[in-house]
Amino acid sequence: MTPSTINSRADLISYLDAALALEHATIPPYLTAYYSIHSTANSDAAHIIRVVAVEEMLHLTLVANVLNAVGGSPDLTRPGFVPSYPACLPDGEDDFTVDLRPFSPDAVETFCKIERPRKAPDAGARLVRFGTDKPMLAASPTAEGIRFYSIGEFYEEIVEGIERLAVADPGLFCGDASRQVGPEYFYSGGGTIIPVRDLDSARRALRFVAAQGEGLDSGLYDADGELAHYYRFRQLQFGRYYQQGDDPDWPSGPGLDVDWRRVFNAKVSARLSDYPAGSELAAAAEAFNADYGMFLDLLTRAFNGEPNLLQEAVVFMFRLRDGFNRLLRNPLPGSDGLHAAPTFEVTVPEAVMS
Amino acid sequence: MFVKFPEGASNRTDHDAAADVLYDVVIVGAGIAGAIIAARLSEAGKRVLIIEAGPAEDLTLRGYESYLDRFYSATSKDNQSPYPTSLNAPMPLGTDARRIFPGFPDASAYLVQSGPFATDTTYTRVLGGTTMHWEAKTPRMLPEDFRMRTLYGEGADWPLTYDDLAPCYNEAEREIGVSADVEDQAYLGITFDEHYVFPMKGLPLSYLDQMVAKDVDGMPIALDGEQTLLRVRPFPQGRNGIPNPAYDGGRGYVPRGAVSTYQVEVGGRCQGNNNCVPICPVQAKYNAGKTLAAALRSGRVDLIAQAVAHKVHIDEETGRVREIEYRRYERPDSADWTTVRARARLFVLAANAVENPRLMLASGLRSSSGLMGRNFMDHAYLLAWALLPEVAGTFRGTNCTGGISDLRGGRFRRRQAAFAVDIHNDGWGWARGAPMTDLMDLVDNGGRYGEALRQGLVDRVSRQLQLAFMVEVPADSSNRISVDPAFTDHLGNMRPILSYDIPDYTMRGIAYARQLSKRIFARLGAEDYTNYDPNFWGYATYEGQGYEVRGGNHLAGTHMMGVDPSTSVVDADQRSWDHRNLYMVGGGSLPTVGTSNVTLTIAALCLRSARAMLTQLDTEQAPIRLTADGAVQTQLEEVGA
Repeated sequence: MTPSTINSRADLISYLDAALALEHATIPPYLTAYYSIHSTANSDAAHIIRVVAVEEMLHLTLVANVLNAVGGSPDLTRPGFVPSYPACLPDGEDDFTVDLRPFSPDAVETFCKIERPRKAPDAGARLVRFGTDKPMLAASPTAEGIRFYSIGEFYEEIVEGIERLAVADPGLFCGDASRQVGPEYFYSGGGTIIPVRDLDSARRALRFVAAQGEGLDSGLYDADGELAHYYRFRQLQFGRYYQQGDDPDWPSGPGLDVDWRRVFNAKVSARLSDYPAGSELAAAAEAFNADYGMFLDLLTRAFNGEPNLLQEAVVFMFRLRDGFNRLLRNPLPGSDGLHAAPTFEVTVPEAVMS
Repeated sequence: MFVKFPEGASNRTDHDAAADVLYDVVIVGAGIAGAIIAARLSEAGKRVLIIEAGPAEDLTLRGYESYLDRFYSATSKDNQSPYPTSLNAPMPLGTDARRIFPGFPDASAYLVQSGPFATDTTYTRVLGGTTMHWEAKTPRMLPEDFRMRTLYGEGADWPLTYDDLAPCYNEAEREIGVSADVEDQAYLGITFDEHYVFPMKGLPLSYLDQMVAKDVDGMPIALDGEQTLLRVRPFPQGRNGIPNPAYDGGRGYVPRGAVSTYQVEVGGRCQGNNNCVPICPVQAKYNAGKTLAAALRSGRVDLIAQAVAHKVHIDEETGRVREIEYRRYERPDSADWTTVRARARLFVLAANAVENPRLMLASGLRSSSGLMGRNFMDHAYLLAWALLPEVAGTFRGTNCTGGISDLRGGRFRRRQAAFAVDIHNDGWGWARGAPMTDLMDLVDNGGRYGEALRQGLVDRVSRQLQLAFMVEVPADSSNRISVDPAFTDHLGNMRPILSYDIPDYTMRGIAYARQLSKRIFARLGAEDYTNYDPNFWGYATYEGQGYEVRGGNHLAGTHMMGVDPSTSVVDADQRSWDHRNLYMVGGGSLPTVGTSNVTLTIAALCLRSARAMLTQLDTEQAPIRLTADGAVQTQLEEVGA
């Protein structure tokens, strides 16, 4: 048993801040793949990616609720909140990077790796030392050079930390209840938002986040009959849907079609520097990043006492969709026919930061 | 939560094998009426066969998206544009309507129209029926709508009261999944059970609604000696919103999302797309596929699609239905068909208020009252359109979120028709084809392109206001559906012939509606652009003024319910007076259409009838022995009555 890396409320808050960034970091890759799909093609694949993206938004909100419950204040506008892609996620011994990719076998492979259920072989193996200077998600924010064996183990560490702290400090859940986001704000995905007020609800929220992604202990389906993200993506590799009672290696539901060609083939992890300076396309890419910064600011305000703002976020997401389409449907000059894509080099406008 | 449609259910029943089964109930039509009855009866352990005219295709998400693709790529975005047309089960299209000249019926489309008034009324022949294209407004009928003859000397009285139907309204609101707030919907005598809340919270008024409300709320109206203050009020909607945690005694409500053969997570809530009619892109809008899928999951419901009912056969001695003969086609364009029969203890015609009487009349069954097909009703729509003085965000939100409901009832109904008023979030779309017509005009006549075109379009459409007055049409026995062997379809089925005129009672309501629209526009400072084209197919004149009158697809009245077999076709349970093992259900049973979109009331009546059917099935014991595989072994005989 390795010593805990969460020994104070401050440690816990820094972990939850990291969890917030982790949940968010999966959304740009999912959305890039989703919007790269031609609008009338690949319905199966589009829906699978979409629901996972939507549920990551649920996870983001659940983490924000836990953070608020213990007196933190979620900040999606802090520098470094949006990783610079390609970014690393923890995955056992072998690192892999997460790129912003159009829908492709490589993208699905990466998505499976992100969501792969991995329980450390023993409690001592939960923490892994790393020596790379690449951006690292789900790295320990309190122990330098330490990352987690898997996202599931990262959340287990937080849950155990909260349990310990709650015993030591009866006032741990001191957050203002009005900052909690309630179930009325989430839809079009499985699961619901759990307002967090105490240890029990915090535990349920965090375990739900881990289980919905990876199905850590619950197998293919959770208690509500919902398929874990990892297995949702596996369906794209099998070309067949799972149904209840299936063996993970033998899905037996309806067949599923994937047409890898009916995709806007965007440049992988495009950067603003790839765009011809002064071009209309560069302006669109910059506008997208600015919009995204504004969007993160809106979410930050919503998570800091104004949950009603999440209704405005719906309209904002349609605007971001249009931004994706504007870029993905246009070829990027000088890239051998590859298309443009949002770069997610997000700078929050100064007017907003104040 | 998605709605699982059992894979293969639309094709798993072999029609030849089914012909040897004696079902508890055979239902014609897989729309909301048929689906609700199938779901309730199968829940109670009954074996059900549904025969459906439309395509035999599972309701899958991909199939639904093929509807969407067809809609997106269609030049005409009419309310049938997403749905496949079939030679063998044709359906009326809104674009079919033609001016009718006296003595020259228009037989150019499936619905033969002998006029004098032409209508663009439609219904959809696919699994889920017309709820695929409906707008999903779900107002209850007013208590006074059930007593029109007694109170106002107009139309007919129902054999039921509002209070009789109220529990079924509650149940229908659960089945459809209605979003509304009781405080907005309790008016003009509509009451709710104590502590009742709708399954989901009310959907918000659009910005346009709010702009109109600023000036219209509190507008005084004096009519027939009564004073009314107008108010822009949200409509109850069969679209998913925020579940109300107080629903069902605090147990809450889980919205039903898209129908699919595999797990999907879409349709949980309305996203505010602007094409509820003809198709919700995400299935947040209820469609009867959601109920049908549940019925099919019971394992006790067989479905045979691409099967058009041809003839209802009656036992001469008992007057009971012996079997329904239908024609099964293999492909939408097949030139031939197979004749098959369906047998059951009870039969339910749940096609719609045109197809139900069409089938009966084609079978030579005119009802001993002589009223089969008569008293056809719809809503008569009058549109009025204007430009608001400032940008009002038109084209944001769903098709319609709010309107004026204060003139749905009142003493004035002894003289003129009542109406509900919709504020259309899709601008002048219905009246004049916005925004496409605006686009073409800006390009063709304005020479605009690029940024200037985009801005020009926004400037024009975002100030558009269109009011749609949904005016009641009372029962009139000369408005009717009939058949004639001279008019048949591809399968040799007699086509429906509609004879329809707008009664003066309705025209007085229409004339008043136009006057009211002028006053509302004046109050809003809006510039009135309303202009009725004398060449319009639905042009109708009254007291020297002409109006464009459109149909509402709210079909009703053709097999009216009542307490007296000599003046009605079905009883309060929608059970045929002449044929006691036959139920004719749906809008056709309505004695008045009032000012409610008919679907919620149809659903409530069918929930009520399902109970009557169960009672009848349990009390009538026929000596029928079935083999292990369900085949009928002995002859079919009914005992008792």
